[in-house]
Amino acid sequence: MTDAVLMPERVRRIDVSVPVFVLLALGLGVLVILPLFWLVWYSVHEDAGGFTLGNFVQLVTDDTMLRAYGIAIAMAAGVGVLSCLLATPLAWLVARTDLPGRRAIRALVTASFVTPPFLGAIAWELLAAPNSGIINVLYRTLFGLPRSDSLFNIYTFPGLVFVIGCFTYPFVFTLVANAFDRVPGDLEDASAILGGRAATTLWRVTLPLVLPSMLAGTLIAVLQALTMFGSPAILALPAGFHVITTKIWSLFQFPPQLGLAAAAAMPLLVITVLLLRGQKAILGRRGYTVLGGKSGAPRIVALGAWRWPAFAFALFVLCLTVIFPYLALLKTALVPNAGDALTPSTITLSHFHFVLFDFSATRLALYNTFVLGFLSATTVAVVAMIVAYIATRKLVRGAGILGMLATAPVAIPGIVLGVGLFLSYANPTFQLYGTIWILLIAFVTIELPAGYQQISSAFHGVHPELEEASRILGASRLKTLWLITSPMLRTSVVAAWCFVFVGTIRELSATILLTTANTKLVSVIIYDLNESGDMGAICVLGLILLVVSFLVVFAVNRMPVLGGGGSVSTTRG
Amino acid sequence: MSFLELDGLVKAYGALTVVKGVDLAVDRGTLVCLLGPSGCGKTTTLRLIAGFANASGGEVRVGGEVVSSASRNVPPEDRNMSMIFQSYALWPHMTVFQNVAYGLKLRRLPATEIKERVGRILESTHLGPLAGRYPSELSGGQQQRVSLARALVVEPQILLLDEPLSNLDANLREEMRFEIRRLHDQFRYTTVYVTHDQSEAMTTADLIVVMNAGRIEQCGTPEDIYERPETEFVARFIGGTNILKGRSDGSDTVVCADGVVLRCGSGRVSPGGETAVSIRHHDIRIGTTPPAGDGSNQASGVVERQIYLGSHRDYLVKLSGGERVRAVAPVNVAIPVGQQVWLHFPPEHCRALTH
Repeated sequence: MTDAVLMPERVRRIDVSVPVFVLLALGLGVLVILPLFWLVWYSVHEDAGGFTLGNFVQLVTDDTMLRAYGIAIAMAAGVGVLSCLLATPLAWLVARTDLPGRRAIRALVTASFVTPPFLGAIAWELLAAPNSGIINVLYRTLFGLPRSDSLFNIYTFPGLVFVIGCFTYPFVFTLVANAFDRVPGDLEDASAILGGRAATTLWRVTLPLVLPSMLAGTLIAVLQALTMFGSPAILALPAGFHVITTKIWSLFQFPPQLGLAAAAAMPLLVITVLLLRGQKAILGRRGYTVLGGKSGAPRIVALGAWRWPAFAFALFVLCLTVIFPYLALLKTALVPNAGDALTPSTITLSHFHFVLFDFSATRLALYNTFVLGFLSATTVAVVAMIVAYIATRKLVRGAGILGMLATAPVAIPGIVLGVGLFLSYANPTFQLYGTIWILLIAFVTIELPAGYQQISSAFHGVHPELEEASRILGASRLKTLWLITSPMLRTSVVAAWCFVFVGTIRELSATILLTTANTKLVSVIIYDLNESGDMGAICVLGLILLVVSFLVVFAVNRMPVLGGGGSVSTTRG
Repeated sequence: MSFLELDGLVKAYGALTVVKGVDLAVDRGTLVCLLGPSGCGKTTTLRLIAGFANASGGEVRVGGEVVSSASRNVPPEDRNMSMIFQSYALWPHMTVFQNVAYGLKLRRLPATEIKERVGRILESTHLGPLAGRYPSELSGGQQQRVSLARALVVEPQILLLDEPLSNLDANLREEMRFEIRRLHDQFRYTTVYVTHDQSEAMTTADLIVVMNAGRIEQCGTPEDIYERPETEFVARFIGGTNILKGRSDGSDTVVCADGVVLRCGSGRVSPGGETAVSIRHHDIRIGTTPPAGDGSNQASGVVERQIYLGSHRDYLVKLSGGERVRAVAPVNVAIPVGQQVWLHFPPEHCRALTH
């Protein structure tokens, strides 16, 4: 070996990590800070350009604004309570009892995660609108009542809380079910051996242990409800009241009041930051949450006679949140008019034909949606990967800033970001309004935190020596990233990509402010068609979104790294 | 001029200085062991040589060219070195062949050449039949060998090993020590080997560098280090020893506090100052009768503990002055606990240490 031909010099390359770092820091800085800057700027300036606090004065004196905030907060609180009440018993049943079919139930709850909330709202319109709602029609037919009678009216405040709750309770469910999974059996055995009966143990030991997760999940549900645009726009506007997100949106309608919109977005931003801090503080108290160790498997409680009532409860929750809404969407997609009964003679594919072939707007929207989903997911995956690499490996002094920048947008609600981006880029300098690029910026900003967190935790699992081994053998940083690190992260990156894709194609809150006739997305078309009452087409579009989302999630869950039945962690709707 | 030179090398993390001015010259083709307790700065020194950490002061030179200094740091990939890591750092998504071929691919060797070179090194490391396996399908020893093969195949100018055997079980560790030495004799790369295990260092090294608290305590051949330690730390760390402290009268004699007089066959005394005398466990003679002679280099005490270890007996003796001395004796010297004994410290085994 020693007398072998001379080893050729390795091909030298310039190490570009510092320029990449600077570029990324600038890019992310612009992405996050520019919208917030303009938001603040517009909120304290008149149209003419002078400094003013008038917008904030109007915000706190204008009754309609205050009402919108009041209703939004009441709604969010209601959603929080409802989510908690639905999710906690269900989580306990699937995690800690011998409930029949608990695996399938868990999977189906995760399914309501995937449902875009606005689609859920439309489905409940189909089910419980006072006149045409399927449930109300059935109710009247059964009891022979006149048309003016109805069992439920979804266009009410309780209706709104109920519908949003149906699609936010999985946030609580997932956290609580995972917490129940982690409560070690021997803690409960300890209570039992001291004489605690099953109910006492559950109440005094198990529940207190999952309480932090319950609170944290509830805060997320509250946050989701507070910043949601789609469902309130669909249900509250016909009912004649505004929540804050719809109010902000209405300020963009002619004549636009951008300054007031910016000011109105500020409290929402502050509340979001506070809620997230609260959630972090609760989950951060590690001494309280139960962590791993060799404590043995969780104990399964035998329900005995309560098995079937418990099953009925679970089924009831699933009917409200998944089964009925999906059936309503499917039925409406297949009949000529929303009110028609589904029989072999009425069944038709005309809505599918209309959406896919006749109506050019939907075809453009489908194209835009999937192209944007693809671009956003790819951009987020690439940026998140590089940022996670630089931050976890501390390549450059101050690399932690990158991680902070990448996670910061989590505290910016979609609608607030929409306002900020509109103010930043819909001006003569950038002229991005009316292009898909402004939407791409929005989606990348919104989805970056989730993508980053997923990929950076994967990075923490790769031993730095694996990279050092490659470098000492002659590969530059980037080459090592490409040849060694990325193949090992492949599954995590693909998973992050898929989640961003699913999150993007259902986004409405920011999109609604940034879209124009040429850049319509499926979510916006659904919203528009709802105003014109074309339910058949909506249901077809909704089903397409759902099928694509489910295919993607299914593909991800099949990947070994995530484990089958793993929870989907999409953010906001 | 030596091939690898460390010149006043310093590494500080904020206020904490972990390498405090290390000077070392390594000739081409020698295997140097950096030996020391954990936290002594040996791994940091190695990472400075590799270029994974930037020096805060001083220089690292290879063949006269500066590769590390406070102002300049040639990246690891441009140093033409190889390294073997504590975790082996085998890439789990590549087969044994792909792992080993990686460095050659980076050097743009033709595929046939790569195949041939990888084949040869796999033969040398007895891995031939395992070329198609993934690292997770190998035992710890096999993984270690792949890691060696991967580092050797690129014919590095300098080979670095960072505690390469610490993850192996005891039997395998001993076997791999000889393996590393065998491969070094075969390929003769300039090698820096970091370990905290003295027998590992003894087996493999041409030159042992004992480090303590960021500095080099002593540098020498294994015989030098063991038989002629220069400091109390080195004497204690390598092989274990008894240290008796006293004052010297300027000659080769040290008078200890309890009246024990030790004539030292080697070492240096500090005239009139405090001097430590090191005498290894197995160099002490133990007996029930006072040894003949002028009364120097002997002491009496009481057996506090006696352990039968099969090949020998291990004694702990409390001297009349209160100090405790460990001595090793043949198994046939069996003295019960509590009995008075005399210890003889042969002058040729007493080494005076100034600090």
